[in-house]
Amino acid sequence: MTKMSDRLKIVFMLCVAFVTTGGQHFESKVAQLLQDETEDIKCFVELKDLTCFWEEEEERNDLQYTFTYSYENKNKMACVVSSLSLLASNKTVFFCKLPKTPFFTTLDVQVFRDGRMLYSRSLNAENYLFLDPPRNLTVLSSGKEGQLNVSWLPPLLKYMDDSMIYEVRYAVEGSNMGKVEVIKVSTMLVLLGLQSDTRYKVWVRVKPDGVAYKGYWSAWTEPVLGVTQPSDLDPLIMVLVLFIGLILCLLSMTVILSHHKFLLKKLWPDIPTPEHKFPGLFTVYKGDFKEWMSQNNSSMWGRSVQVYTEELPSPLEVLSEVSLTSHGTSQREERKPVEEDEEKESERSDSGLTDRWREPPQAHWLMEQLRALQENPQSLSQSLLVQSHDTYVTLNQNSQGDGEREVDDVFEETLPLQTLFTTTGTTSLSTSHSDLGSLQQSSGSGRLSSQSSFEYPNQTWPPKGPGYTYMAVADSGVSMDYSPMSSSRITELGRHRMYTNDYKNEIFLHKWPLFGEHNKSGSESCMGPVW
Amino acid sequence: MQITRLFALLLMVLEWTRPGLSSPLRPICDLRVLDHFIKEAWDAEAAMRACKDACSIATNFTVPLTRVDFDVWEAMNIEERAQEVQSGLHVLNEAISSLQASNQTDVLQSHVDASISNIASIRQVLRSLSIPEYVPPTSGGEDKEMQIVSSISELFQVHINFLRGKVRLLTRSAPICHQGVS
Repeated sequence: MTKMSDRLKIVFMLCVAFVTTGGQHFESKVAQLLQDETEDIKCFVELKDLTCFWEEEEERNDLQYTFTYSYENKNKMACVVSSLSLLASNKTVFFCKLPKTPFFTTLDVQVFRDGRMLYSRSLNAENYLFLDPPRNLTVLSSGKEGQLNVSWLPPLLKYMDDSMIYEVRYAVEGSNMGKVEVIKVSTMLVLLGLQSDTRYKVWVRVKPDGVAYKGYWSAWTEPVLGVTQPSDLDPLIMVLVLFIGLILCLLSMTVILSHHKFLLKKLWPDIPTPEHKFPGLFTVYKGDFKEWMSQNNSSMWGRSVQVYTEELPSPLEVLSEVSLTSHGTSQREERKPVEEDEEKESERSDSGLTDRWREPPQAHWLMEQLRALQENPQSLSQSLLVQSHDTYVTLNQNSQGDGEREVDDVFEETLPLQTLFTTTGTTSLSTSHSDLGSLQQSSGSGRLSSQSSFEYPNQTWPPKGPGYTYMAVADSGVSMDYSPMSSSRITELGRHRMYTNDYKNEIFLHKWPLFGEHNKSGSESCMGPVW
Repeated sequence: MQITRLFALLLMVLEWTRPGLSSPLRPICDLRVLDHFIKEAWDAEAAMRACKDACSIATNFTVPLTRVDFDVWEAMNIEERAQEVQSGLHVLNEAISSLQASNQTDVLQSHVDASISNIASIRQVLRSLSIPEYVPPTSGGEDKEMQIVSSISELFQVHINFLRGKVRLLTRSAPICHQGVS
């Protein structure tokens, strides 16, 4: 007997529990729809049973409601009306349950009060499914960082379990900012992109997907907590890594400091100096090339030739004149064949390279001139100071009686240079005082040297006699333009400043402005920067 | 001799290729295929519901019943279900096809054409599931229950309800899709 009574009690308790839970769900659904649904008669389907309810209008107990329904305009049927008091909102609703509602067909419901029709509605039952929230929601941390495995059970509905859509909401515990993930059909989800070592709350709700069946969103499940995995990065490992990094830094610093000279040499190489090729030039003679040259004569030439072959060719830029008033006329005929050779040489020297050095016979004379100039800076008309190591270009001067230009195939290039600066032997050009590095122009005809610049302060350029022709040279660096000049123009030119082209050869860094302006012909040449 | 050899070769080739016999279709058990057609039927129904004046028509349509009682449905076997669905599709197809002849708006025409092609596709799906084809009732036999509707919007309502009701339930319960499941 006691066993039987115990069993009965258990069954009764289970029934009550079931009813209450069902009731809870029912009540919550009613409450939910009461807020959301706008229709007067609110209907929903719960487990294939259709429930329609309406709110009590007036506070009257003896009210008689009549509820009728019909399918597809067939015979009407009546349903028993029940009442329900909502505890939360303190309202009373009347409802009617239609068991085993047919789907996919039209249902007409009507509510009468005291014979008068209160509400009427026509609906399809399969469009108002109101499901229970999913059961057995579990949140587990997956093996990976920042991930959580969420799973739940689908609603217990035959024929409908493949038409469900779920919404998963998750938020950090304590925070209000939640994210929502929508998932179709599947009852499992992996949340990604979460913070590590954090507690998360997860909710789930369900709804028919709207293709075959339609309905309302279910209520949210109770939140379930899940903890994500802590991050892999151990603080101990971080500290160790820092220490190793420090040690490596120290080691590299010591290496760099100990070999800093070597590294500096590699990164910031020294500018090469020609010192090793000119022993004693900078140390003993302090750059006095003239002295050094006088000391080291023949042997040095050979060496310097080798030096020159290594270096870049220097263009033949500017002319200078060396007056040969004493030597010029007498030596002219003699020198002619020699000069031819030399001019050939000058041709070659235009390209800048000479395989062999042929000391011009004037070298000694030139040195004498230089020395003379050094001693007597005033007697400048005859001195020529050459700093250049390169070959001397000696250009022939026009014969005095010859008013025309010497046209010779070999010497065509050299001619214009010559003609521009030829002067009579009588006039002299003043030169400025400058250091040894400069070339000083002197008047007179005769020799020209390459890579020299001139300075003519207050120079007036007297026109020459009819024996000389003058040509304006326009050297643009690419081509040379020659145009004959009248004597009046020469005078004009003499009054203006002339400039030389820039030297391209770095060894000879002395640039001197040359008198005279060469703008009328529109040339770019002979127009160098003004220093 | 050579001719006989040729004949033998020809027979072998023909036997191998078997022209005229269609190969069995792979069963389309995925309900998303049917759901796609249902979505299109929803669009048609919504369009017809919206157009009221332009889409009115004088004739009546004979359409199948769409009501599903789950108890009743569960009690039916596959052949009965198949027959109900196939006859219903046939009737529906006829009703919608009758709209093609009449002069209607472009919107209506497009939906009508889409619905007809969808019904044909659904028939293919059912064929792939080895569901018996529609058998017209014999002269003595009773026809399935039908209903009469008088408007195009009602017609398309019946159309959508039939597809998502009986047709879907039949497709879902096709035995060929549950062979692997115990």
